[in-house]
Amino acid sequence: MEEYVFICEDSLEGIFSGVYEAYEFKKEEGIESHDILHLAVKEPDMYRLFTQYIRLETNEEKAKKVIRTIKRELGEHTYYDLCLAAICVDEEKADAIYHTIVTGLKYHDKNVFARLHDKAVHKAFTCRRNAANELHYCKEFLRFEELENGILYAKIGPKNHVLPFLVPHFADRLPADNFVIYDETRGEFALHPRYKQWYLVTNHEFDERELVYSEEEQVYRELFTEFCQTIAIEERINLKLQRQMCALRYRPYMVEFQ
Amino acid sequence: MKQEIMLGDKQEIPEVVKNSNAIEAFAKRQQTIMDKLKILTDAAKYDVSCSSSGVERKGNGRDMGNCSAAGICHSFSADGRCISLLKILFSNECAYDCKYCINRRSNDVPRATFTPDEVCELTMNFYRRNYIEGLFLSSGIVNNPNYTMELIYQAIYKLRNVYRFRGYIHVKGIPGTDPLLIQKIGFLADRMSVNLELPTADGLKKLAPNKHRKNILAPMRQIQQGIQQSKNEVILYKNAPEFVPGGQSTQMIIGATPESDYQLMMVTQSLYENFALKRVYYSAYVGINEDKELPAVTGGTPLLREHRLYQADWLLRFYHFRAEELLSEKKPNFNILLDPKCDWALQHLEQFPVEINRADYQTLLRVPGIGVKSAQRICGARRTARLTFEDLKKLGVVLKRALYFITCSGKMMYNTKLEEDYITRNLLSVHERLPFDRDGVTYKQLSLFDDGQENVRLFEHVAGARLKIPSGSV
Repeated sequence: MEEYVFICEDSLEGIFSGVYEAYEFKKEEGIESHDILHLAVKEPDMYRLFTQYIRLETNEEKAKKVIRTIKRELGEHTYYDLCLAAICVDEEKADAIYHTIVTGLKYHDKNVFARLHDKAVHKAFTCRRNAANELHYCKEFLRFEELENGILYAKIGPKNHVLPFLVPHFADRLPADNFVIYDETRGEFALHPRYKQWYLVTNHEFDERELVYSEEEQVYRELFTEFCQTIAIEERINLKLQRQMCALRYRPYMVEFQ
Repeated sequence: MKQEIMLGDKQEIPEVVKNSNAIEAFAKRQQTIMDKLKILTDAAKYDVSCSSSGVERKGNGRDMGNCSAAGICHSFSADGRCISLLKILFSNECAYDCKYCINRRSNDVPRATFTPDEVCELTMNFYRRNYIEGLFLSSGIVNNPNYTMELIYQAIYKLRNVYRFRGYIHVKGIPGTDPLLIQKIGFLADRMSVNLELPTADGLKKLAPNKHRKNILAPMRQIQQGIQQSKNEVILYKNAPEFVPGGQSTQMIIGATPESDYQLMMVTQSLYENFALKRVYYSAYVGINEDKELPAVTGGTPLLREHRLYQADWLLRFYHFRAEELLSEKKPNFNILLDPKCDWALQHLEQFPVEINRADYQTLLRVPGIGVKSAQRICGARRTARLTFEDLKKLGVVLKRALYFITCSGKMMYNTKLEEDYITRNLLSVHERLPFDRDGVTYKQLSLFDDGQENVRLFEHVAGARLKIPSGSV
């Protein structure tokens, strides 16, 4: 039997509007089951036989409709989980999200993420967990540096697209600070002007070497590094455990490991 | 020591001592903030608790700081412990002489004392850079408990009301402090802890001659009642001030006195039940001081024992176990080879196997290889399907441990026997993941295969250049 793969943009709106198109396509073509419809976020490395590939444009209206339905039928909590799954690096996420929504709507199950025996739900669940874990690590290991003009600057290099979920945490925490978080992997900036709404900036030319740090910055870096070294109990040194708790890939961004 | 002699006899102070005192005083003035931080961190590092959990407090849109109920660790030190709070002493001057403590009066260590402003500046600047989640403030006894707690109160009062800090604050309660002072601090702090120090009154008498069991339990009780009262008030008046909203914890040293694991667990259980503590921390005794009252450190730090106690502690708090189920007078210590839950299950094989698709949540929790999360997932998933062993793997059940104790739709996974010896043998062949080296002492302890240098020489000809030994492992 012929299968269909919809290729949509790798973004929240892209995936959700893809879901809309898939439903619409199913209805128009009179297809019986969602099983032969798939969603992907990029062109496949290998094209399969008996499969039609359909490229989609992102449509905000359609995405909004899907989001509204998810919130109403599956609840805010499921919506948040699906959003987290959507920022994961895993390319199979779009299909997993699509089929999780299908399952949820079919059984009117607000607790659809509990159906872990379902293959698609399990996949969406692991994507969500992956993204949520990294989001938490970023809250833990992100380090701000104070620039000359008092602005706080932080650089992160996450695998998943966690930045939009990360900023609210810091905006709530540091309302009186101007801060910038730079996602090195995607070249994306989050800007938070003091006491104002934060926003994202992409495609901006930027050279880190031009940054000038404040005089105090070096002092606090040294103080904290010293603190981290002193707090360890020599008789209990356990670098394996340290590595398990704080993966090496986060350390280039952390002052105490420089 | 010199100072003590001076206080002891009232004769005229010799010129030399006077001078050296002047030098000391001068040196103290010259202490930089870096020196102080180093001294007072070093003095605080044996405090175990560093958690920033238990309080959910959103930002107010104006001042710096919020709190997250799950807690956030910000770094991990070389011993693998988390760094969540700026853990420092206000002062490491101490009037007491507890045998096990690095800061005891009779030790000759560099001394330092912060000013409230220094503590505030450090906290604010570290917090702003996302280095820490808040402040952990403890102190040696300067003059007397009340004087010390007054200093701590001043520091955190300033931090909350002048610097307007809304992050996490953990304050150590010093036994023997005026209840009024504890009350005032409780409304500023998120968590308070009073150290039990040693599990029994006898041990305390022997090793901490200046502390008394009664004085330790009194503030603990006061904080417990304060928390309860504050909770009731918050129900009535939404904006009533919160008293120690993150709950209280305590810690005790293990291995310095001869208590058995059974005694320790009974003490822990009664602390949870009678004092409504959030956490009890155990700290494996590290021989810092030499004293005739203290045990000689021969086997290294008892990390395995500490690990088993924490495992059992989790069983009490999240798995609905009771201390009497795990240990008894006859069997007073934990099994070295098996974790407490496996050990329990092997003694109670009559309760197994458990049917995954039918057993209630609490029964599932008692199966080795099933944790809180996987038990919850099983309960969630089986509402809509009959679970198979394949599904259990997806849910995060550790099948290599669980398979001897469970059935799915009436069938065991393999043809296994429900016999103690047989299961024990099989469980032991599966390597238990411990957070430190297998010998249960420390990761640094050497054995033939741990010694990188030695290994390189031994296996050079076999592995050649491929053998890379991480430099940190030795």
